[in-house]
Amino acid sequence: MGEGSLAKQITDYIIKNKESHYRLAFSYVKNSDDALEVVQESIYKAISTMNTLKTPEYLQTWFYRIVINTAIDLLRKYKKIVVMDDETIARYDSGTVDHYEDIDLQKALDNLPIQYHSVIVLRFFEDLKIEEIAVILDENVNTIKTRLYKSLRMLRIQMND
Amino acid sequence: MMDEKLEKLKKEYMDLSIPEELDYVVRKALKKSGLNIMSKKSIIKRISIAAASIAAVFVVLTVGVNTSPVFAETISKIPIVGNIVKVLTFKEYNINEDTFNSNIKVPAIHGLENKTLENSLNEKYLQEGKKLYEDFQADMKKGKETGGGHLGINSGYEVKTDNDRILSIGRYTVNTVGSSSTEMKYDTIDKKNEILITLPSLFKDDNYVDIISENIKQQMVEQNKADNQKFYWVEGIEQDGMSELFEKISGEQNFYINAEGKLVISFNKYEVAPGYMGIVEFVIPTDVISDILVSNEYIK
Repeated sequence: MGEGSLAKQITDYIIKNKESHYRLAFSYVKNSDDALEVVQESIYKAISTMNTLKTPEYLQTWFYRIVINTAIDLLRKYKKIVVMDDETIARYDSGTVDHYEDIDLQKALDNLPIQYHSVIVLRFFEDLKIEEIAVILDENVNTIKTRLYKSLRMLRIQMND
Repeated sequence: MMDEKLEKLKKEYMDLSIPEELDYVVRKALKKSGLNIMSKKSIIKRISIAAASIAAVFVVLTVGVNTSPVFAETISKIPIVGNIVKVLTFKEYNINEDTFNSNIKVPAIHGLENKTLENSLNEKYLQEGKKLYEDFQADMKKGKETGGGHLGINSGYEVKTDNDRILSIGRYTVNTVGSSSTEMKYDTIDKKNEILITLPSLFKDDNYVDIISENIKQQMVEQNKADNQKFYWVEGIEQDGMSELFEKISGEQNFYINAEGKLVISFNKYEVAPGYMGIVEFVIPTDVISDILVSNEYIK
């Protein structure tokens, strides 16, 4: 397959799925300007690293990964987030049930540490498989499963279910 | 139930309103990064189409500017040659309305004996500023009619060099439509003889185009070797897309002379590199061009 047809597939994919990419970016950066910037930057990155895409089957996971990394980079630039490792996060999870009765769902999701946010968005909103999420987030399948479980638990706690 | 809550969250996620600019931003990014469904042969054509569509959007975007331009507000005074020649802000056009923002500063040069030169430069700056302002107003009007979008324009100037001999002024225009594009234009004046210095006027003949271009290509490749984040569309760097490769500068390429007396060639965003590189500049080592310079008066 020539480069031309891969380029065409990528272009078509990017145009067709621009709204998904925008939503995904927005879920991290939380405002329209930054989300647009992330989408734009992701396209530049994707195209300049086109040769890292092995086969078009992986287009979606490959591009999602770029979007998420770009969004996190932007947040980091603004120092809006600190990426924590799983042990640190676990310490935040007291295991007891806190009561935030009026907190709304969106807030609960937004308050999740970034890696946990990613897992929820990809699994439940984007309906991706655990294996695909593992590829996107560059973690092994078991880590993703653990995070998914923990993030649900954290959401439940925050939402006082 | 957890499921219900997740369903609700998912609905919120999916219901996010998509800004109108998204399509434009995506298509522009695709075009600018050189990846396009069109064949290689039509690249030049495509670029000019891209340029045209940018111009069109520019017009659409230029929306609200306030109605009373501040007249001759002396924001910056840069004394030159014993305070005789000055660059100052002649006019300022501002708009500040929710999602529409513009700030256009029009520079003016004062104090040249050569009034023809002074007037022609100032007239050019004024016309350009006015055009930006009017375009932005038109775009803002359209933006309002279609219900919004973030539009911004920021234009101003910076004095690149100001010494006994040389005055180099750079004027920039940043267009914001979610993402941004940046343009820079320069004028360089010989303060002693009071003439505008053009790129061809510095050299004995037209060979400078090839000599400078070769040097820039070398610099691009070297920079990329040292840091692979520095990416240019040039032969010698492995290309991923189908971008048109940089061949040579134009005879009237953007340039200025820096404080060290070195020739600096400037390229606008997307001219020779992907957008993340922004405006790129190359300082041309004087020994590369010393044989073809008309004199060493300006460039040292």
